[in-house]
Amino acid sequence: MHHDNGIWVSSDDLNREENFLQSAEKEFSVENIAETDGHWTASRRDFLKLMGFGLGAATVAASCEIPVKKAIPYVTKPDEIVPGIANYFASSFVNGGDYCAVLVKTREGRPIKIEGNTLSSVTSGGTSARAQAMVLSLYDNRRIKHAGTVENGAVNKLSWADLDNKVKGQMQLGGNIRLITHTLLSPTAKLALAEFMAKYPSTKVVTYDPVSSAALLIANEQCFGVRAIPTYKFGEAEVVVSFGADFLGTWISPLEYARDYAAKRKIKSVEGATMSRHYQVESHMSLTGSNADHRIQIKPSEIGAAVCALYNAVATLVGADSVGNLPLNGRAKAALTRVAAELVANRGKSLVVCGSNNVMEQVLVNKINDLLGNVNSTIDFSVLNNLRQGDEREIARLIGEMKAGQVSIAIVWGANPAYELPNAAEFKEAFANVNTRISFSGILDETTALCSHAAPAHHQLESWGDAEPKTGHYSLQQPTIAPLFDTRQAELSLLEWAESVNLNRQDEQPYYQYLKSHWASDLFAKQTRYSTPAAFWDMSLHDGVLELPPTPRIAEYNQGIFLNAAGVTQPASSEVEISFYETVHIGNGQYAHNPWLQEMPDPVNRTVWGNYLSIPVEWDGVNNINGWKGLNDGDNVEVEIKGRKHTCTVVRTFGQLAGTVAIALGGGRESGGCGVGFGVNVNPWLSVAGGLIHYFATDVKVSGKAGVDKHFACVQHHHTMGVQAMGKEEGKIINADEKSLGYKGFQGSLTDRSIIFQVNLSALPELAEQMAEFHREAKHLNEQTLYPDQTGYFGTGLKWGMYIDLNACIGCGACQVACVSENNVPVVGKNEVNRHHEMAWLRIDRYFYGDLENPRVVYQPMMCQHCDNAPCENVCPVNATNHSMEGINQMAYNRCIGTRYCANNCPYKVRRFNWLDYTTADTWPGNEEMIFTADSDDKPFYADNLVRMVLNPDVTVRSRGVIEKCSFCIQRIQEGKLTAKRENRAILDNDVRTACQTSCPTGAIVFGNLNDPASAVNKAREEAGDIAYHVLEEINVRPGVTYSAKVRNANEELFS
Amino acid sequence: MLLKRICWVFSFVFLASLAVQAAPTIEEGKNLFTANCAACHAKNMRDNLTGPALAGLDDRWAAYPRADLYAWIRNSQAMVASGHPRAVELWNQWKPTPMNSFTGLTDDQIESIVLYINDAATAKPQGPVTPEASADGTESSGNMWLFASLALILALLAFALMRIIDNLGNITRVQAGEVPVQRTFFQVLTTKGSIAFLVFALTLIFGYKTVDNATRMGRSQNYQPDQPIAFSHKLHAGANKIDCQYCHDSARRSKHSLIPGSNTCMNCHAAVKKGTQTGTSEITKIFASIGFDPIANKYIPDYDGWSEQQIADLYKKWIGQEYMSANSLAAMNDAGRSAVETQWEGVLKALKDDSNGRIQGPIEWVRVHNLPDHAYFNHAQHVAIGQIACQKCHGTVEEMEIVYQYSSLGMGWCINCHRETEVKFNDNEYYKQYARYHEELKAGVRTKVTVADIGGLECQKCHY
Repeated sequence: MHHDNGIWVSSDDLNREENFLQSAEKEFSVENIAETDGHWTASRRDFLKLMGFGLGAATVAASCEIPVKKAIPYVTKPDEIVPGIANYFASSFVNGGDYCAVLVKTREGRPIKIEGNTLSSVTSGGTSARAQAMVLSLYDNRRIKHAGTVENGAVNKLSWADLDNKVKGQMQLGGNIRLITHTLLSPTAKLALAEFMAKYPSTKVVTYDPVSSAALLIANEQCFGVRAIPTYKFGEAEVVVSFGADFLGTWISPLEYARDYAAKRKIKSVEGATMSRHYQVESHMSLTGSNADHRIQIKPSEIGAAVCALYNAVATLVGADSVGNLPLNGRAKAALTRVAAELVANRGKSLVVCGSNNVMEQVLVNKINDLLGNVNSTIDFSVLNNLRQGDEREIARLIGEMKAGQVSIAIVWGANPAYELPNAAEFKEAFANVNTRISFSGILDETTALCSHAAPAHHQLESWGDAEPKTGHYSLQQPTIAPLFDTRQAELSLLEWAESVNLNRQDEQPYYQYLKSHWASDLFAKQTRYSTPAAFWDMSLHDGVLELPPTPRIAEYNQGIFLNAAGVTQPASSEVEISFYETVHIGNGQYAHNPWLQEMPDPVNRTVWGNYLSIPVEWDGVNNINGWKGLNDGDNVEVEIKGRKHTCTVVRTFGQLAGTVAIALGGGRESGGCGVGFGVNVNPWLSVAGGLIHYFATDVKVSGKAGVDKHFACVQHHHTMGVQAMGKEEGKIINADEKSLGYKGFQGSLTDRSIIFQVNLSALPELAEQMAEFHREAKHLNEQTLYPDQTGYFGTGLKWGMYIDLNACIGCGACQVACVSENNVPVVGKNEVNRHHEMAWLRIDRYFYGDLENPRVVYQPMMCQHCDNAPCENVCPVNATNHSMEGINQMAYNRCIGTRYCANNCPYKVRRFNWLDYTTADTWPGNEEMIFTADSDDKPFYADNLVRMVLNPDVTVRSRGVIEKCSFCIQRIQEGKLTAKRENRAILDNDVRTACQTSCPTGAIVFGNLNDPASAVNKAREEAGDIAYHVLEEINVRPGVTYSAKVRNANEELFS
Repeated sequence: MLLKRICWVFSFVFLASLAVQAAPTIEEGKNLFTANCAACHAKNMRDNLTGPALAGLDDRWAAYPRADLYAWIRNSQAMVASGHPRAVELWNQWKPTPMNSFTGLTDDQIESIVLYINDAATAKPQGPVTPEASADGTESSGNMWLFASLALILALLAFALMRIIDNLGNITRVQAGEVPVQRTFFQVLTTKGSIAFLVFALTLIFGYKTVDNATRMGRSQNYQPDQPIAFSHKLHAGANKIDCQYCHDSARRSKHSLIPGSNTCMNCHAAVKKGTQTGTSEITKIFASIGFDPIANKYIPDYDGWSEQQIADLYKKWIGQEYMSANSLAAMNDAGRSAVETQWEGVLKALKDDSNGRIQGPIEWVRVHNLPDHAYFNHAQHVAIGQIACQKCHGTVEEMEIVYQYSSLGMGWCINCHRETEVKFNDNEYYKQYARYHEELKAGVRTKVTVADIGGLECQKCHY
C-alpha cells in the first residue's frame, strides 16, 4: 500500500489501481465517446464533407453583409440606472427556514449575482451555495406563468380576478381551511395570515420543515419553556460535540455557525496558536464531520446509546443522576467517556448539539449542556432562532382530517408534501379528498400537480417581503426585477381572499404598502435610531437588515423533567443500517431543479446530478482497500427497505462505518424542473417514530452488483494532480519523470507531492520548521535556472495574489457556485461530467488523511494559480495564454485554437476545454444533442433566452473549442482599478474582491495586491508564516495563490 | 536592336508610372473633397447644407466650357462680377454666402473632386456596408490600381527579357550552325517555370487576400446607416455647441456612452418644437415616442393607452397647424395635406414597432459603432481617466450631418493608440504605485509612460 505521507483521495488512489491511474492521468476522458448519445463516428468521407461544408459556410459568412444592430435607449431613463453600471439592492434569500441576508447585483434591471450583506450579524456577508444559485431559478421557463386551474399536469389559464372569485366562492361556503407551509420567517406574512384567519376562522396553519428539527423544539419547550431554538455560540466554545448535527452545512443556521466556528479555528500565528476542539458523533461522514478533529463513529441506531453514554459520563463526573446504559460499540463508548472529561474540564466553554429528531435525546443533550453550565453561556436564549418552526405531527394530524373529509380547502404555500413526506403516498390519497386545493408554488411540483388551482407566487427576487430569522433581527426583501410572468405575491393572494380592508388595491404595489405600513406601525416604535417613519423605512430598505438590541433573558432548565434511556433510539441489531442526510446544495429536493446546484459536487463524496449510496470501504489489513461487497464506484445495487426497492448507484466513501450505508435526500424529483429524473426519492424510506421523522432506517437489504450506471458522475478522479505510468519492465507504477530524473519526489504521485500539509496543533511548531526547510529546499531548486530573473517585472504597480486558509475552509461550495454565477461557467449535465467535461473554474479538492477507516479531511479550493513561471503559457502555439505585468495568467479566448497543450501542461489541472458548444454561443445543429438539455425540453439549456438573462454581461460567453479557466475575476479587478482611478486614489483591498472571496461564509479566501505591504493578503500570508505554502512549490512555477497548512486539534493523549 | 527594345520598355514603364500619378482618381478626389469642400457641401451629395448639393454638377455645367467650372471653383466671386450666367444664377440662389476660393487646386485635382462627387452621388446611399477599408484607415482601392499597373509593367518586362534570352539563344545557335528555335507566345506561357510561377503567385495572392479579408471581417469603417430621425450632430454639437456628454452622459462613468432617452431630447425640445432644417418632420417623432402634446404643451398622462388613431390625430393636427402658419395659410390646401401625410408616414416608419404595432416607446436607432462581444471597451476609462477627446475615435462628429464610423475599431488601431498615448501619470494618485516609473522619470531615464508601459497591450485588458 502506498500512502507515504498519509494523504489520499480515494481507495483507488491508495491501491494504485490502474483505472485510477489512467483516470488521473487523463486530463479529459475520451472513453465512452462512442457510446454516448451523439453516436459520433467519423470517417474520411465525413471529414471531407464537413470540411467542404466548413469552407462553404466560411465563404457564405464572409460574403454576408454585417447585420444591422439597433441601439434602443430608454424613453424616460430612470435616474438610478446607468447602463453598464451594476446596481446592488439589499434583500434576503428566504426559502422556508433557509435564510441569508444578501445584496442582489443587477445589470440593466436584471438580477445576475448574489453577494452577502455584511450588515447582517446573522450571516455577516457570507452566503451559501443555495443563496448564490437563486438567480438561476428566477430565469426558469418551467415556472408557472399565470394563475389557473390545474388539470393533467398543466395550468389552464384563469385571470386573477376569476381565480379570486372562484376561490372566495369556495371559501364563503364555509368548511375547514388548512394552510400547509414550511417555516414562515416573515412577520408581515404572518400578519396577512392573521387577517385571513380572522376572516375565515376555520383556518389552521400546518407547518413542517423539509428536514425536521421538531424534536429540538419540543425538547426546548419541555426543558426551558420556550418552543424555539436558542443561539448557539460556536465562537465561544472550546469544545464542541455534535451528535450528527451538520451545523456547518445544513443544520438550522449554518452560515452563522460556520463563521463562528471558523473564527475559533483560524491560526493567527504559529507561536501560541489555539483552536477549539470538535468531536462529531455520526455514521455517515457529513460536511461537518469531515471538518471535525475526531469523528466518533456509531451506527445510526446507536445515536440514543451514544447520547446516553455521554450523559452518564458527564453526570458521573459532576455528580448527577445517570440514566440507563444502552449497548454501544466499544470504541465510541470509550471515546465518549474521554470526551466527557474534556467537556467537564471546559464547563461553560463547551457546547453539545444534536441533530437527531428524538425528543428524549434532545432533552438529554439539553441536560448535558445544563450540567456543563453551557446554558446562558454558549447557549443563549436572549436571541431566539426562528429558522425551524415546523412539526411534522401537525401534518400527520392533517392527513387524518383530510382522510375523514373534514377539510374543504387546502392551500399549499412553499411546501411540497407530496414529495417531502415519508408518507407522501398517504398524503396524496388524503389530499384528493379535499374539495379545493390551491398551490402558491411557482413551479409545477409534485403537490401543485395534485392541486385544483394554481395561484403562482412571485419568485423571491420579484417579491416584497421581510424575515425575522432571529428575534429582533429583521431583514427586508425587495424586488429587483418586475415579475417575469403573470404571478402574484402569495401574501397578496391571502389578503385578497380575506378581503382585507388594510390593502390599498388602487396602489400599484399593494403588498409593498402593506409591508411598509406594518414596519412603520410595528417596528418603527421599537427602535430609536431613526426619528421619522420615512427615514426608518428608507434606511432599513437600504441596509436590508434591522437589528434591535436584545433583551437579556436567562433560561432556567426545568429540573423536573424525567430522564430515561427508554425514550431514546434503541440500538438495532440489523446487519446493515442506512442514514439519510441533507446535502448543502439540494436540501430535501427544494433545490433539485437548479442546475448550478445539481452540478455542484457533494462536498464529501463529490458526486453530481443525483444522490448516490455511500458504502464503506474495507482495508484488508495488508495491501488493499476494497469497496464493501467488492462494489465499485458507479455500480448499481438494489436496496430494499420496508419492502420498497430502488436501484441506487454506489460510491465508496471513506469514513462510512462498516455495516452502514448512507444516501442523500432530495433525489428522484418527479416534476417541476430539470432535476426530474436524477437520483432516487428516499423519503418513503424514512421512518416515523412518535410522530417524528427519523433520518435513518434499519433492516436494509443491499444486493450485490446489479448493473452499472453508465453515466456515473463523480468528479473525484477528474483533474487530479498526478502524472504516472505503469512501468513496463517492473510491472509496477512508476513515474516517467521520476525514472528519467533518477530521484523520487520531484514529480511523484498525486499525494506524494507537496499539495497538502497537515499537522496536529501540538506539533505545529515542528511542522513550521519542516516547512521552512521545505521552502528553503524549493527555493534552492527553483533558483537553478538559466532564465533571467523576472522579479523586477512585477515590482511596480499591482501584483495580484490570493491566500486560502485551509483551516477556515469548510468545503461548503458557496465559492464554487459564486464562481459559476460570476463567470458564466456553463452547466454541462450529467453525461458530460461523466466524461470529465465539467467546466467549473474552481473546484474544491477533498483529501483524506489519518486513519484509513476513519480518516480526516482537508478541503482545498483549487483554481488557476496564476503562476509567474507558468508551464501553460510557453506551450501555447498561438500565445493565447500569457502573463500580465499584474501577475495574472491571461486567457484570450478569441485567440485560442484549442490545442489543449496548456491543459496538458498545467500541473494543477485547472484548465477547462469547451468540448461542446455548452452555452450555444454559435449552435451548430450537430452539437446540440449532446449539450445539456433538461428533461422534456426541446432545446439546450442555454439556448433558452430566459436562462441567458442570468449571464454576466462583462464576461465573454465562450464558444466551442476554446480553453477557459479562472481569471482571478479580471472583470472585478478592472472595475476596481477604474473606481480607484476615478476617485483619484490608491487601490484598496475592498476595491477588488473576487466572487469566491465575497461568497465565503468563513473568510477563508483573501485576495489583494501583493506589491502593497499593507494589503490583507500580505498580512494573512505573514501571519501564517512558514505554514503558508504554494502547492507544488518545488516545481518552480511560482504560483500566485498561497495556502496554509491544515491544522487539527486532535486530542492525541486520549485517542492514541 | 536589343538596346532599342530595352529603351522602349523602360520609357513605357516611366510613362506609365507618370500616368498613374497624374490621372484624376476618385481616391484623390475624396481626400481633396474632405479637406476643402466637406465643411460646406454634404458628403452624400444630395442635401443642401451651407453650400448646395453637388450631385449632378456635370449636367448643370454641361452648357459651358470646362474651364468655366475650374474658374468658378478657384474664384467664384470674380466670375459673378464678370456676369457669367451660371455664376449669377448660383449667386442669386445662395447669396449672401459666397463660396470660398480655392486658387491652389489644379485642373486635374478639380477633375478628381468631380469624379468623387459623381461616384459618391451614384453610390448606394446607406445601409450596411461590406468591409472596404483597411485597418489603418486608408482606402486600399487606389493602391490596388497602382499595384495592378506595376504588375502589368513587370509582366511586360519579363516578357521582353524572355524574348531577349530567346533571341540571344538563337544567335548562339545560328553561330553554332543549328536551326534557331522559334517559340510561340503560347509555348512560353506553358513552360514549367511559367506555370509554377503562376501557381505560386495565385497562392500568394489568395492567401494574402484570405487573411486580409478575414482580419477585416465584421469591420465597418465609414458605416453610415440611415437613422430613424434625421438627427444632425452638425447642428447640435457643431452649431449649437452642445457638449457631447450632455446627451451621452454615461460616457464618463460607464462602459457605455449611452444613446440618450427621449426624455433627454425633451429637455430642449419641449421648447424647441420645430427644427431649423426639418421643421416638424423630425421633432414630432420625439413627441410621439414619449407622448408630448406640442399643441397643449404638456405630457399626455395616459399616453401608453392611446390608440394609433388618437396619436395620428394629435400629431397630424400639430404638423398641419405648423404647416399653415409657416406658409401663412388660412385653410389647409392639398399640398399641405400631402405634406402632413408624408411627415406622418415618416413618423410611422421611424417609430412603429413591427412586433407589436405600437408607436409609443423608444426610438430604435441604428447602432453605428459595434464591437465584437469578446472585446471589452470602457468609455469611462478613456473619457474620464485618459481624457481622450471624443473626436479622437469618433472623428469630427460636430461636422457630421449623419454620423458614420470614423475609425476602423480594429485591434491594430486600438493597440497603436495604446502604444503612443501617454498616461496622465502625475495627475492621479492611483498611478503612485508605479514607483519604478516615477523614479525613472525623475532620473530622466524615461521621458514618458505610455498606456503600453502599464500593461495596456495585455490581452486581458480588453478580452475577458
